[in-house]
Amino acid sequence: MPFTHNFEKDHSLNTASDAAERMIEDEPYYEPAGGEIEVFTAAYRNQLPVLLKGPTGCGKTRFIHYMSWVLHRPLVTVACHDDLTAADLVGRYLVRGGETQWLDGPLTHAVRTGAICYLDEIVEARKDTSVVIHPLCDDRRILPIDKLGQLLRVPAEFCLVVSYNPGYQSVLKDLKQSTRQRFVALEFNYPDTEHEQKIVATESGVEAETARRLVKFGIHTRNLKGSGLDEGASTRLLVNAAKLITNGIAPPLACDTAVGHALTDDPEILHAIHELAAAVF
Amino acid sequence: MDGARQNLFNLIRVQKDLEKISGQILARLPRAGDLVADIADLERDTQDFIYHWTEVIALSNEELAAHFIAKAPLAFRFLEEAAVEGWIIKAMDAFDNRGLGFAIEIFDDLQGYVDAHQQHQTGCRFDQVAGLLRYLVRGLGGRALQLACEPMAYTDTERICLPPTLGAFPERDENARLYKCTAAFLWAQNRYGTWRYRVLEQAIRQLDAATTWPIYQRLETVRLTACISRDLPGLAREMATIAHADEAARESWERFTAQAFDLCAIDAGAEHCLQRVVDFIGKPLPPPLQYQGEMLPAKVREVLFKRVPREKAALQQALASLQQELGNEQSQDPESGPTGDAANRFSISTTESPGGAADFESLEFNDRAVPTGPELEALLASILQDLGEVEDDYLNAGTLGDSYPASAELGQGPGMELGEFDHGSRVELYPEWDYTRQRFREAFCALTEQDVPFGNEDFVVQTRAKYQGLSKSIQRVFEAILSEAQRQKKQAHGDELDLDALVEAHVDRLQGREMSDRLYTHFRKSGRSVAVMFMVDMSGSTKGWVNEAERESLVLLCEAVATLGDQYAIYGFSGRTNKRCEVYRIKTFDEGYSSNVRRRISGMAPKAYTRMGVAIRHLGKLLSAVPARTKLLITLSDGKPEDYGSYRGRYGIEDTRHALLEVKRSGIHPFCITIDKEAQSYLPHMYGASNFTVVDEVHKLPYKIADIYRRLTT
Repeated sequence: MPFTHNFEKDHSLNTASDAAERMIEDEPYYEPAGGEIEVFTAAYRNQLPVLLKGPTGCGKTRFIHYMSWVLHRPLVTVACHDDLTAADLVGRYLVRGGETQWLDGPLTHAVRTGAICYLDEIVEARKDTSVVIHPLCDDRRILPIDKLGQLLRVPAEFCLVVSYNPGYQSVLKDLKQSTRQRFVALEFNYPDTEHEQKIVATESGVEAETARRLVKFGIHTRNLKGSGLDEGASTRLLVNAAKLITNGIAPPLACDTAVGHALTDDPEILHAIHELAAAVF
Repeated sequence: MDGARQNLFNLIRVQKDLEKISGQILARLPRAGDLVADIADLERDTQDFIYHWTEVIALSNEELAAHFIAKAPLAFRFLEEAAVEGWIIKAMDAFDNRGLGFAIEIFDDLQGYVDAHQQHQTGCRFDQVAGLLRYLVRGLGGRALQLACEPMAYTDTERICLPPTLGAFPERDENARLYKCTAAFLWAQNRYGTWRYRVLEQAIRQLDAATTWPIYQRLETVRLTACISRDLPGLAREMATIAHADEAARESWERFTAQAFDLCAIDAGAEHCLQRVVDFIGKPLPPPLQYQGEMLPAKVREVLFKRVPREKAALQQALASLQQELGNEQSQDPESGPTGDAANRFSISTTESPGGAADFESLEFNDRAVPTGPELEALLASILQDLGEVEDDYLNAGTLGDSYPASAELGQGPGMELGEFDHGSRVELYPEWDYTRQRFREAFCALTEQDVPFGNEDFVVQTRAKYQGLSKSIQRVFEAILSEAQRQKKQAHGDELDLDALVEAHVDRLQGREMSDRLYTHFRKSGRSVAVMFMVDMSGSTKGWVNEAERESLVLLCEAVATLGDQYAIYGFSGRTNKRCEVYRIKTFDEGYSSNVRRRISGMAPKAYTRMGVAIRHLGKLLSAVPARTKLLITLSDGKPEDYGSYRGRYGIEDTRHALLEVKRSGIHPFCITIDKEAQSYLPHMYGASNFTVVDEVHKLPYKIADIYRRLTT
């Protein structure tokens, strides 16, 4: 059966790159909220997988980057989507010049190199991914690769981290008990006012006073959660707005574009967010 | 000479036109000659407009039409056409709802309408800004304040009341800004402790309404203005632009602020204002700010007296259940933590905020911070807003199961008032489309939802037995239905190659393993998302066979639809005049196919007439609230829309058609199943050429209905 397929162009198959590339070389900026670094380190030393819970844009990914730097381990990040299967994680055979060739998936790659594997938004992935995640996460610590007929023993340096946003409130996007009960769970939330001001100022370079007002505006939008908005402004959005402001955009316009329109399309709420921004600045 | 002749011809033509449309009306007018001359002066289009509306109004009442035409030429002198139309509609609505006298009054009082119209052009209405202000006040934070429309602007600490219109400024935008600033200022009274319990009590004791309240009110305004400019400088700037009516007011206000400057300090509270009142007795006061509203201590006190004990009890109960949880944790670990009740105590950390207010920061149990949910936090914040602190006896966890009404759950204070309307059958008002006027008659139909009395469940058992074979085949057909496509991989047959599967198969072949033959992707339908509303005609004409066939059909359908997992509801409808439209709950979307539903189906009985438009609007509203990708409104009917009064013939058909267009716009597919053999003559107009089915024999309805449903939803 003749067929052609250009593998070079298919990025999803191009997963096995050098582990060194994923080392975090420079210290990422991270503002600890209280105890999470110690807990993560302890979990890592005891080979326990970690679950990060929290709303979008509150610093989960940044935390993992930071921990990867602290622990000197390479980081493999997989953004999960609803077509992500177990084979995408573990790996598959390819055909190259009539020969078959095995290509490790990101998870297998992370296990082999003793990396930290971060599965972002795990609930988005297909249900069959639990087949590979479960044996990795309990005391067996193995990765079965059925295509190769292998059982990979997981080295002590490997760590599996998954993230999950409990705020969706959709039955379809809930994490199963059998999965979640294998993890040490760290809950993340928006930082408190003082920390958030510091984060916004440090990340974007705005003045302390502007950062203070931005954070205040962020809190106003979070008050609207549940009455008009699904989520308030995340720290990430506030940092985005602050970055626009440092580039000379007027603060109310920066809030409208970086925060308001990113949060909602409803004209009435947009108007209210606009008024809140105008009130603070 | 030519001009005079032209004029004469004009007069004669107008005279003829008027006689043509209604000789009777002209006869009622005292000065018909003048009127003809006035009309003849108008443009031809304007004349046609007047003739048209005179005819339409005369359909309702000839005397009313006479009053209209007498004033019409004058109306065009002051108003543009759209405004004249508004005037007519206002009078017609008054005629529909309140009677001839009120309608005539509106036509006769043209000047009143013209004034109101001009005010309306520049004024701003409450409902134009309510949505925005609701979000704005919520976003500013603190206790969740409701917005209400009342003659005066004030707050009672649970609501912000604003007047129905504001027209102080010549531009609408400025009036909208005045609304915003008033709402923000009243919010600030709540936020910065104007209505703190102790201060309020002291103020009520110490001040008198005539002399000292106005002083106190202005001092508070100075303090609050300072608070707002500290926290919300942008808003404060905007408020400053509209604060004063003129320059003199601004100056006198600035002088006053300078005398009370100490109240602008960050730690100044309402009690400081109260202390300063004596210094200003006898001195001239500046005029109040445009947006400051009223202070009504009696109203606040009334609300406060209800809320304070309610929140105290709610807090104690919340703490009790929290303590129980914490106690369970501790008892598993008896080594740690103090033992005995005396040691178990809650405490609160707060942060100071401007105006001497305190913000909730954390809750501690035996000096260890404990997690608080959003409800508990809102409750504590509300208590702090009232009292400034949480006293120790508030933190004595009550005993679980205290007799505290569940309806007064945490944070639901203001919502309760709304809930009170839910008892009994609630009347909802709907508009009706009048094709002669090409307008809605606003709030014309009064509709109530009622329960169908239970009937005998035997009916269902008998129906099942009677249609046993049919029921099974329906079931089989329905089980086979799966709608809405999804691409499935690794299929044995399909419309496209599955490249991943193909590579795998090739690898298998190279490695000498058996190749899979599942190499295709296939678009298969799975995962339905359908919601159906069955709207069943319960008018008097269904009596007998039709009613029975409807009930049997529903029994068969319910079981079949449940197989599919579709969401569905069943409502009957009927009514007698626009004042008594009724829909009957048989099954709501939330209910399962329970024995109660079966008994209600059995209990369906013929009622009165068929006023369809209002039922479609109401049930369409219920249906659009259901989350589903496909929404169907299926009507089971035996004839045309018809009701006592004018709701017959073309009027009823046009209203129904309009209601169907409205629900279509909200994404609902209407469909009609009827047994009226003459339906061909009017249903295509109402539902569209393909959105109905005529079942020619009543007893075939149960056989057909499942098939119709299957066709519709696959």
